[in-house]
Amino acid sequence: MIRSVAETVTDRSGVPSRAGGGQLRLPTTRGWRIKEAPAAWLLIAPVIILFGISVVYPLIDTIRLSFFDIKGLAPAKWVGIGNYVTLFNDATFRNTLLTTLIFTLGTTVISVSLGWVLAMLCAFAPVHTTPFRGMMFVTFGISEAVSGYMWLNILRPDKAGLLNAVIGIFVPGYAHSWLGDPNTALWALIFVASWSGVGLPLMLCFAAVQSIPKTVLEAAYMDGAKPTSIMRHIMMPLSLPGVRVAIFINLLGALRAFDIIYVMTGGGPVRATETVGYFMYRESMTQFKLGYGAAATVVLLVAVLVISIPAIIQRTAGAK
Amino acid sequence: MFNRTLRRRTVMAGVMLAALAGVSPSVLAQDLSGELVILQWQTGTDGQMWKDVEAKFMELHPGVTVREFQPAGGQGDARGGMRTALLGGEVVDIIINTWPAFRAELVNSGILRPIDDQWASFGWDDKLSQSWRDLGSIDGTTYGITYTYGDRSAIWYKTAQLEKAGITPPATWEEFLASFDKLKAAGYPAPVVIPAKYWAHTEWFETLLLRTAGVEAAAQLAAHQIPWTDPKVKTALMKYAEMLQAGCCADPATMLAIEQPYPTLYTSEDSSYLLFGMWTNSALKNDLALEEGVDYSIFQFPSLGMGFDDTSSVDAKELNVTTNGANPAAADAFLDFIVGPEASNIMANYGYASPSTAMDGSLLGPVQQIATGAVSSSKVQFVLGDLLPGDLVDEYRVQLQKFLQNPTEATVDEVLAAIEAKAATAY
Repeated sequence: MIRSVAETVTDRSGVPSRAGGGQLRLPTTRGWRIKEAPAAWLLIAPVIILFGISVVYPLIDTIRLSFFDIKGLAPAKWVGIGNYVTLFNDATFRNTLLTTLIFTLGTTVISVSLGWVLAMLCAFAPVHTTPFRGMMFVTFGISEAVSGYMWLNILRPDKAGLLNAVIGIFVPGYAHSWLGDPNTALWALIFVASWSGVGLPLMLCFAAVQSIPKTVLEAAYMDGAKPTSIMRHIMMPLSLPGVRVAIFINLLGALRAFDIIYVMTGGGPVRATETVGYFMYRESMTQFKLGYGAAATVVLLVAVLVISIPAIIQRTAGAK
Repeated sequence: MFNRTLRRRTVMAGVMLAALAGVSPSVLAQDLSGELVILQWQTGTDGQMWKDVEAKFMELHPGVTVREFQPAGGQGDARGGMRTALLGGEVVDIIINTWPAFRAELVNSGILRPIDDQWASFGWDDKLSQSWRDLGSIDGTTYGITYTYGDRSAIWYKTAQLEKAGITPPATWEEFLASFDKLKAAGYPAPVVIPAKYWAHTEWFETLLLRTAGVEAAAQLAAHQIPWTDPKVKTALMKYAEMLQAGCCADPATMLAIEQPYPTLYTSEDSSYLLFGMWTNSALKNDLALEEGVDYSIFQFPSLGMGFDDTSSVDAKELNVTTNGANPAAADAFLDFIVGPEASNIMANYGYASPSTAMDGSLLGPVQQIATGAVSSSKVQFVLGDLLPGDLVDEYRVQLQKFLQNPTEATVDEVLAAIEAKAATAY
């Protein structure tokens, strides 16, 4: 049973004891009531103000805008939920939902599973694989726009594209337009996004593996377990908390993806790579339909919340 | 007596000078002062040219300081950034604009000041013909003064490639189609380059529409007075299909991935023909250091023999003045300056044509000479994509991408029906 902090006090040695036991009483949740500590207000005020200005106000204003029809420089007209009705009747938007789903699941599955497997392998030689892990993590640090431009050249449609040139060694004269073919453009984007996203799962899973007590692993060795068995029965299950965090972060990142799509395909060809994030940009900034774009933003926000809230609840429960 | 006469003459001269000053804005312009803010979104060579133009204006009006406000860009269409700036409260005196539909949006929002009075007082009729004035007008009121224009029905080519293939610039559609095989045999596998990632693939359709249906039909389509499913529109797309089926181009996926036409056409040996705006001239001259008329040239779109070969698609850039600008006198003077000889000649040296009679035509290179000659002898229609409502133009470009993937009659019907469905809600 999880006891609340309020029910528990500890002495200097960390031994729990009932409140009022004559020992040093550490602050309880009730003891931290903010109205009883004006200094706390002062300390927390800058954060609250910044959060209000940079997060709460734009969020509320975006929701407000989504109830207006705003086209270009024309005055706004109240349309209630009209934008949402139009949005879900819009075949283009429905297509972007599907594209977003494929992109999100694709990048998350590839980058997390690859990062997890690499973390397992690195764990067998943690010192020797440090440069490798460092290099993999660097890809996570590169801005998506920069990696997009880099991959744009690798995936060039002609024979000068690096990928086509490599395939051309085995298939002379080979040239495929990876980003111009609607059948391959989305998968090419998923691959690129996974490449730049694999560093984080690798580090998170590696950290989770490293936190497994050495005694457990040593006991397994002593009992004659093979490395594959150790990996399968000990390292993988015990690194799951790291995997969960990696999945959560990757899902959120992929849902909001924009930079890489903007740089590499512009949502094309024929809208084959248009995700909700790009749709939102196109409607708001290119078409300048601010109300409609705001409605798409709110839908994306709801999707992010649906994923975030259970994860946050789980993490909070874990913290308790 | 002599003194009295002298005094009278002096007074008369003063009166005449005062009267002249009253009617001639150019005299008043000498007293201009303050800051002039221009919403300027062009970059690269265009941006540099604009800086030269502004510097010349400040040299002529030392009391005025020109400040550029550069909006955030967005993949070739600056309107998003311009709207953001204006809605955000940025106060500018002059807006550089190239989209007639955007001008209408600015007018409807009360941002633009009419310039009919200035047109009369500065005597711009002497420099610009009525057709240029009409181009900058909405319902009989003038809001824009055109300072440069381009021939959008000119096909660019590399002279060496045509020479190697043993062909001269084709004059007819049949000759044009027949030249593909010769160019391929000469080692150029995709004779026509169509950068279809964003919008350049629509250029071919737009000139074909003019050449198969005429400027009136194109204007009607732009205003949605005829539907996109009209047989005239279908005929134009079928001609486009004819070109694709004749083996003009790379595979559709390659076309859909190309966004930068200059390096593709001028630094690779794959392609020969490109239908693109006249800013190509400045880019080739200044960015790639090619010699106009020697390394590259243009020919006017080949004739189709369908009764509309005297038509051309054009684009233009204009200046608009705002109602809330802080320095309207300087803004008006800048409008007068932009169609004057100093500004026009700076632009000509960069490879741009001005519609003003004040421009020294001899400054234009051979390519611009061909283009200006073609436009002056044609019935012209503004670029269709820039006349359509924003909602529709996006669908139009995407549907034409679909058409490129499979240019059959069935696809043409499907594509036109889809554009028409969007058009039904876009006006």
